[in-house]
Amino acid sequence: MSSEATSLLGPDRVAAAQAKVARLTGDLKRVILGKESMIEEVVAALLSRGHVLLEGLPGLGKTELVKALSRLLSLDFRRIQFTPDLLPADITGSYILQERAGEKQFIFHPGPVFTNLLLADEINRASPKTQAALLEAMQERHVTTFGETRELPKPFFVLATQNPIELEGTYPLPEAQLDRFTFKVEITGVDRPVLEEILATRIHGEPPPLEPVLDIAELSELFATVDRIHLPRAVGNYIARLVAGSHPNSEEAPGAVRRFVKYGSSPRGAIAIAAAARGMALMHNKPNVGFDDVRRIAGPALSHRLVLDYTAKLEGWNGRRVVAAMLEAVPDVERGLPKTLDAR
Amino acid sequence: MDYLPYSTAQVLRKVARRVALGQFLQIWPPWGAGAFLIAGLVALLCRMFFPNAAHLLPFVWAAPLLSVMVTACLTLNRRYSPLEIAAIADALGGGKGTLLAILETKDGSWNGALAALSRVSLPGLSIRRHVWPVFTAAAFLIIALLLPQRVLTMTDNGVAATEIAADLKATVAKLKEEELVTPAEEKKLDEEIERIRKGALQHLDSSSWEAADALREKAVASAVEKHDALKWAQESLARFTVAAQSGDSNVEAQTQELAESIARLQESGLLADLPMELQKMLGSQYAIAGGKVRLPNDPGALRRLTEMLSAHLAQRERRFRDIAGLRREFGRFDPSDYPEFNYERGPDGDGDPGTGGLNRGRGDAPMTWGKETKRFNGFKAVPLPPGSVRSPDDWAPVATLPGAPKASPQLSVPRESLHYGTAPGQEAWRRTLAPRHQTAVKKYFENR
Repeated sequence: MSSEATSLLGPDRVAAAQAKVARLTGDLKRVILGKESMIEEVVAALLSRGHVLLEGLPGLGKTELVKALSRLLSLDFRRIQFTPDLLPADITGSYILQERAGEKQFIFHPGPVFTNLLLADEINRASPKTQAALLEAMQERHVTTFGETRELPKPFFVLATQNPIELEGTYPLPEAQLDRFTFKVEITGVDRPVLEEILATRIHGEPPPLEPVLDIAELSELFATVDRIHLPRAVGNYIARLVAGSHPNSEEAPGAVRRFVKYGSSPRGAIAIAAAARGMALMHNKPNVGFDDVRRIAGPALSHRLVLDYTAKLEGWNGRRVVAAMLEAVPDVERGLPKTLDAR
Repeated sequence: MDYLPYSTAQVLRKVARRVALGQFLQIWPPWGAGAFLIAGLVALLCRMFFPNAAHLLPFVWAAPLLSVMVTACLTLNRRYSPLEIAAIADALGGGKGTLLAILETKDGSWNGALAALSRVSLPGLSIRRHVWPVFTAAAFLIIALLLPQRVLTMTDNGVAATEIAADLKATVAKLKEEELVTPAEEKKLDEEIERIRKGALQHLDSSSWEAADALREKAVASAVEKHDALKWAQESLARFTVAAQSGDSNVEAQTQELAESIARLQESGLLADLPMELQKMLGSQYAIAGGKVRLPNDPGALRRLTEMLSAHLAQRERRFRDIAGLRREFGRFDPSDYPEFNYERGPDGDGDPGTGGLNRGRGDAPMTWGKETKRFNGFKAVPLPPGSVRSPDDWAPVATLPGAPKASPQLSVPRESLHYGTAPGQEAWRRTLAPRHQTAVKKYFENR
């Protein structure tokens, strides 16, 4: 357990790791303008070796972000455009009868899932069966075909996109699959100054040329550094109370959760918060996770894990708003200030 | 905490102190308010019902002080641990978590990151909404203490009854002190005193004091009677002694008289403390009570008996002298009760009662009771003479004003004396119509 660590990461090592991450985020910000917050969330998820579901309207740069990320990380990148007729074997790969040395035999042809960075574009357009093909790969990081299990390359990330409109002919992701994503990042529109900058810098909307900033070895080193980010017990306690408070039957559940949430987050949500908060702490040049990192991470990490009641939709509540209410209601410190004291 | 910078340790100490203060003020209000309320209630009860306890009221301030001590103990018991204080301090400083990490790992390599923590502002006290019950309860206590002490006043009957009973009890106590009243008599007197007291409580008039005087006289009369018995015994003993010494033939009679007088003494309880030796000489108690005292034949023993009996009776005699004051006549002024006044040299200094100056003479002058006032009967019912109704005919008009209505002879006649036509139908409507409407009705039907 991290709290049992005898020492913190040295300032030099943290600074070096943070510089690498800063280069990555800096280049991403050059590609995707005006989306600093979204970029931070995606990078934090990557540093925690998690998968990200990007949700937003077409043309907001979802695919462009993933493509830029693949170029910057110099990782193997594949893209799958999910369609209703896409089959599981189209993802995982299949055996094909081939003749080799005068002998016919079934040869396994790996699918596009055998890559480092997989872009599952418009994932909600494929059938549930095809979506389920990603389940094992995302969680176990290996693929089983015809009884043979094959390890996926390391690292392995899935960055999926989905369109919140045009729901006709789509298959909403089941809760089990949503839970596999560390973050669900909602991509909102851009404001006028950003649009002006896009028009001024992009002639045909093409992004600036990018050079790789991190190779696999450096990325592995970053992962090791992130794993050594210290999680204080009080912060861990805050995460636990936050996730426990997402259940409507919990004593710590705020009013919004009791009213609008049917099922709260799984323990995987707490693990995702802790892991992503470590990545976020490294991005901010800290050797430890703080309450601020948890608050920053809780929204994208928990919003898609809450199963909301139908009344929530009727009253205009979504997962992000419920999480915001939870953050408001659950205090950072379990035994906080006495009621007679007010934090200024 | 050597691995922490001095400024951070100082901030932690400040936060710990502020949190302890806040915790104290969070715990104290219910205890303090309760203590003030209880103290106020006690003060109020003392002010209203227990005037004798008024001098103890300053001690009610001990209740709030006690609540402060209890709260201090509870605060100490529930104090925050150093890590909890650090978590609060870290949250106040933005929740970076670095302080917690350093405290947990005891690694000082990141002390530089704690510089911002030294500028953290301490949480402010907002006690108004928590402490107002205490102020309210304290105000209640102060008001209760400022209330004027209510003095319990008995009714006039109560005061007088208590005074009468106390006076009588003092008399009985004096008699008891001199052993001039037997336990049975004392019990009976107490019962009488209580009866008089209750009677005075219910209805106080002159009879209450008369009853008290009568009881006092009765008690003193009993004492006087015992004194007489004692005197008789002393005299009979003296006569017996003389007769016995002179060898008079009347010894038998003197012996009999002595025995009877001793029996009287026994009966009046004056021999209750008779020395055992003397009692043996006189015989058993039954013999003494029955007047069959057995006197010794031996002259020496007889002399011894008479000496001891004489000494015993003399001792009893002294006791009667002590209660001489009780034997005065009741209801009479006794100048000896007021030694500060010299009545002999008063304004009427002639010493002749009733012939003095404006002060109507000395108080010991005999009072002359004149004709007593009869009971008040001013509201006795007196029957009035029978009344009579005056006839209206007795009244005659004094003047007739212009415009006064004129009397119509037809309408003024009595209704039963009116005569109507006998034509069919006429009688009916004449009966039902008022005479003043008949003309109008008649005109209406004639035009048809």
